[in-house]
Amino acid sequence: MSTIRVRSPASYWLAAPAALWMLGVVVVPIALLVWVSFWGGRAFSTSSPLTIDNYARFFANPVYVKLIFGTILHTVGLMAVTGVLGYCIAYFLTMKVRSPLWRTALFLAFIIPFWTSTLIRAIAWVPFLGVNGVINQTLMFLGATQSPIEAFLYSRTGITMAQVSLYTMMAAGPVVYMLNSIAPQWREAAMTLKATPFTVFWRIVFPLTLPGVVIGQVLVFLNVMSDFATVATIGGNKHALLPNLVLLFYESSQHRAASVVAVLLMLCMLVGVVIALRVVDIRRLGAER
Amino acid sequence: MDTLAYESNAREAVAPARARRELDLELRNIRKRYGSFTAVDGVSLQVEKGQFVCLLGPSGCGKTTTLRCVAGLEEPDDGGILIGGKEVTRDPPWQRDIAMMFQDFALFPHMTVAKQVGFGLEMLKKPRAEIVQRVNQVLTSFEIASLADRKPASLSGGQRQRVALARAMITEPRILLLDEPIGALDYSLRETVMLELKLLQQRTGISFIWVTHDQNEAFSLGDLVVVMNHARIEQQGPPEEILQRPATAFVASFVQGNNVFRGTVKEILAGALRVETPVGTFVVPRPMTGSTPAPGTAVSFSVRAELITDALVERHVNRLSVRCTAVEYFGAVRRHIFERSDGEVLKVDQFGAQAARIVPGQTVQLGWAADAGFLHAVPSP
Repeated sequence: MSTIRVRSPASYWLAAPAALWMLGVVVVPIALLVWVSFWGGRAFSTSSPLTIDNYARFFANPVYVKLIFGTILHTVGLMAVTGVLGYCIAYFLTMKVRSPLWRTALFLAFIIPFWTSTLIRAIAWVPFLGVNGVINQTLMFLGATQSPIEAFLYSRTGITMAQVSLYTMMAAGPVVYMLNSIAPQWREAAMTLKATPFTVFWRIVFPLTLPGVVIGQVLVFLNVMSDFATVATIGGNKHALLPNLVLLFYESSQHRAASVVAVLLMLCMLVGVVIALRVVDIRRLGAER
Repeated sequence: MDTLAYESNAREAVAPARARRELDLELRNIRKRYGSFTAVDGVSLQVEKGQFVCLLGPSGCGKTTTLRCVAGLEEPDDGGILIGGKEVTRDPPWQRDIAMMFQDFALFPHMTVAKQVGFGLEMLKKPRAEIVQRVNQVLTSFEIASLADRKPASLSGGQRQRVALARAMITEPRILLLDEPIGALDYSLRETVMLELKLLQQRTGISFIWVTHDQNEAFSLGDLVVVMNHARIEQQGPPEEILQRPATAFVASFVQGNNVFRGTVKEILAGALRVETPVGTFVVPRPMTGSTPAPGTAVSFSVRAELITDALVERHVNRLSVRCTAVEYFGAVRRHIFERSDGEVLKVDQFGAQAARIVPGQTVQLGWAADAGFLHAVPSP
């Protein structure tokens, strides 16, 4: 028998507090949510019959269905932008910045904004994007535009700009980790085998960082899909994504409809994560060396 | 032939060109600095076609940096590199006619053995069918065909070494650079692999530049051994020359089995010098080349351990009385360690097949012949 006892009773006891916590705040609420989403009848009570009426009503409204696709499209677009930007930043930080001091300084500069909450950072964008905001004033000062551009605030563009800044580091972080695990001699070996720098990147560096890219994309996907705060602050009440619909129904006490949207949102996320796991086995991250 | 009239002229013009073409590699006064640290200082080297060259030296002596300069992974600050007579000093690695085997093999972790070995051919834009065929052929000849679909993580050290070698050799480069290629292998495996590599090198006619800190490797493999220390070449030549005629005190003390003595020239005899050292006065042959140092000059010389004996006869004119501290038996030789009165050790080798004569603790009178010593061109500081 191995000295490391995988099935010792102690390990179960150590896992118990976290397991209880997860059960109480994740598993049970989700089960309740799913249950509520199937409640039929007029009264809102535990004795309601279980039907699929709520879902039927939701899908009967083309505005709502379009919102699902709109949300997914918006998220995919954001994943693409943050993915490319994040990879560039990660590559620059790990491969191009040689001095450890500079690397730490730049890394901190990227990380420090994360010390404030997402909501505050989202709100902080308003004075930037507004008609008399910093961006417009700068553009007008530079003579790039005559009149202020209104498309920044309370628009899809503004939401995207804010979210890109909020989530790019989520895409970059795992890539930094993966890039750091690439031994310089792998790239050198490829070069001595007549690979040009572009080929070295495409055939050696990128495939080896792919798990990091996928994890980053999953993080961005999950965060953007559930981000109602940025959409609400920057988009005003003109723009909404799926999570804002949950909020809308909740605030108007339509709990069954809110549950339906929440369940559908979770399903979308689940499908996304499953697809990501099919591309790269995240569980084996870093094991391959 | 009507070229007879030009013969003498033509020969003079052609000879240097041909000599240059025959060289696989030429280093001209390479220098490389990292800040204030000089890694390679004025290294010049000529490697003829199909030569097996070993760069030997202690760690940090600049041998790996020299190799990386040849590969194009480092750019020298100064000097020129010619591969096959073509100037490549500023060329990137992917434009040089070389392949390299790295110390820990540097196998790509995400590629199967077959993909890995075919990578070099893919880079040369060979047709897919040809790559598949060549890879199969090479995998079979390196006896790793059964590993074709495995990834490096599941291979043993010896298997990785073969894959790395196959990957480097498949493109048939002019020069193969090897950075401590068997340092990561089990000791028992090394001798077999060394022999295989030597045979492979002879069969293919590819020049090997082999970097090592292990003198057994260097002397048993190299046609040319280049001993480096402190960023410079101390001596280069065939193994016999370096073992028997160390040019500097460093080479003599670095190469196993030498006893180094330091002293001053006392008088010049016919064909020899009398050198006074803290442990006695000894007769050393005059240098075969170069000038003979004048009396009073500080010099150093070495005597090989197998040339010193305790079975003294008249010709052993250099004599020394020392105390034995240890005896090591290696099978082929029996090495005796003695304590010299100046605190250094004296090593004496005896054929292993002979019966042991000296035991630790014993004080013995030892001696060597007048022609056994070798005077260094550069004495130790």
